[in-house]
Amino acid sequence: MSIFIDQSNKVVVQGMTGKEGSYWTKHMQDMGTNVVFGSTPGKEGQQVEGIPVYHTIRRGLRDHDVDTAMLFVPPAYTKDAIFEALDAGIRKIVTIADGIPLHELLQIRSAAKSCGAMVVGGNTSGVISPGKAMMGVLPYWIERVYKPGRIGVMTRSGSLTNEVTAEVVKAGFGVSTLMGVGGDSVPLTRFAEILPLYQADPDTDAVVIIGELGGTMEEEVAQAMESGAFTKPLVAFIGGRTAPKGKRMGHAGAIVTGSKGTVEAKVEALTSAGGRVAKKPSMLGPVLRELIT
Amino acid sequence: MKLFEYQAKDAFRQCGIPVPAGVLAGSIDEVSTALDEFTMPCVVKSQVLHGGRGKAGLVRVVDNADAAREYARSLFEERGVRRVLLEGAVEFENELYLAITVDAAAAKATILACAEGGVDIEELAATAPEKIVTQMVDLDRGLSGFHMRNIAFGLGLTGDRIKAFNKVLSALYQAFRKFDAELIEINPLFMTKEGTFIAGDGKLSIDDNSIARQPGYEITRDHFDHEIEYEAALAGIPYLQFDGDISLMCAGAGLTTTVFDLINYAGGSVANYLEFGGPNYTRAVDAMELCLKNEQAKVILIVTFGTVARADVIAKGLADAVAKFKPSIPIVTCIRGTNEEEAFQILRDLGLTPLSETEEAVQQAVDIAAGRIS
Repeated sequence: MSIFIDQSNKVVVQGMTGKEGSYWTKHMQDMGTNVVFGSTPGKEGQQVEGIPVYHTIRRGLRDHDVDTAMLFVPPAYTKDAIFEALDAGIRKIVTIADGIPLHELLQIRSAAKSCGAMVVGGNTSGVISPGKAMMGVLPYWIERVYKPGRIGVMTRSGSLTNEVTAEVVKAGFGVSTLMGVGGDSVPLTRFAEILPLYQADPDTDAVVIIGELGGTMEEEVAQAMESGAFTKPLVAFIGGRTAPKGKRMGHAGAIVTGSKGTVEAKVEALTSAGGRVAKKPSMLGPVLRELIT
Repeated sequence: MKLFEYQAKDAFRQCGIPVPAGVLAGSIDEVSTALDEFTMPCVVKSQVLHGGRGKAGLVRVVDNADAAREYARSLFEERGVRRVLLEGAVEFENELYLAITVDAAAAKATILACAEGGVDIEELAATAPEKIVTQMVDLDRGLSGFHMRNIAFGLGLTGDRIKAFNKVLSALYQAFRKFDAELIEINPLFMTKEGTFIAGDGKLSIDDNSIARQPGYEITRDHFDHEIEYEAALAGIPYLQFDGDISLMCAGAGLTTTVFDLINYAGGSVANYLEFGGPNYTRAVDAMELCLKNEQAKVILIVTFGTVARADVIAKGLADAVAKFKPSIPIVTCIRGTNEEEAFQILRDLGLTPLSETEEAVQQAVDIAAGRIS
């Protein structure tokens, strides 16, 4: 099993005719993802990798069924594209857009919550269940990073994901589903909202989270563990432990003010909830082996 | 992007939030001219982006023009302040706190208000949270009457003061939306004996992803602590200057931050943080030029593990940079991801030894910086 997406999902790719859209549509297909149609305003009648393109989702729906949307749409148009997908009844959406305006992130998340949809992103490299399906821009062909297996991975960072997942694979494990929630200060789906899916997945034995300083997502994971809502083994790596206060390092979310959002606070919360925290990426594998024998 | 107080007050004025009469001055002469129009006492306020100006001695109330001039001169000459804002002092009965920010988990705007202004709100939130009135607002539904009643009554306001306060709150919410703010704050918000409200100070931070639709706000040298940080920002490359000797060129915020940690764990120190991931991954030449401007750097450490940021393109850019600048300091590379075999070959052709383990690369850079290996 996989969470969020597998071969049975019927996917529309919004912005399919663009450079990234067409390139990654092919990769998603190669991975096993069932891409049904694409949408790009003004490009109806074209094809990408043999898949028909329509002006709008509504027009595509006259000929096809979809339940999942993958966006290759620039940040300034992302809100509109997501609202289009939500309006079409789609409840699983992934957007890789980096730089969605803050107030629009709030509006998208609020709209998605009110119709029970899960929108993953922005500023993410996507979602993958290696060997089954992929939505996003993930290098599944690098086997030492995306080997199929039984460890769930949730991450805030694309570049660090490859680094950390390689350590998981090196330790003799593989990945069941990797969910990139993205590096924005307002992730459209939060770690704690994905945890129940991993909890229910019989093919996920443990979860690795790749966090960073800033925000409260890691603390919310700790709360879910403390309340008994998540009971599988969990190991975290959290970057930014030595980041100087007041400097904004990297992602929008990665800014430290006072004690809120510090790596120490996250480590403390996760550890006291029964999770483990690896200080360096190379320690993740050994800790996982300790937990799963 | 954080705005200076005078910019925030301009934004307030545009949205109908009362602010004291004020003049911006960039030199002693401008201060003197401005003082002719002021009735004393007045306030001289350094226009810098750091918080806690009062405690740092960067704001002062003065009761005559000579004192104002003398203080402004010390700010310009001794404290390196580039601009000061002169404002008429406000007689007040009480100081309040009022701010709007974003709650990421709830995906709503959050209004924070407190009847005791002029305070460090984070400190107060930790020690006396019951004193802070909060109200969440869904952006699509907007600010309603009941939101404002919850806050005004929560603050203990009565009579006509409620109406006057609501006017400020509603204008502040309008400004929050109009300027795509991640934070908008009035602290202190003066309440006069007559029951009117005036913004004593103003903070406004515009979301960086919304700057494109907020014309008129350019980054300036004053936004940065260091010259190279400013140059990098103009070039669109994230760069932070530090005191150490290992210069970082990494792709991806998460990986760069982690390499920063690993260097500190290994006993090394970072000269600069530089990220050339995302759309910047083809700009190794620009990135290295910035790193080489940092004279403290004893070694350049390059770590990437990218998909879209292809390893071969990064390595090729690095080869171009080496050919152009012929750097005299050693380079350690750990460049992996899409097309890494090609990348490794390019690096070998450069005479470098490509590494593929981040922690090994970090250790090597730390050893070189410490003079243990060359």
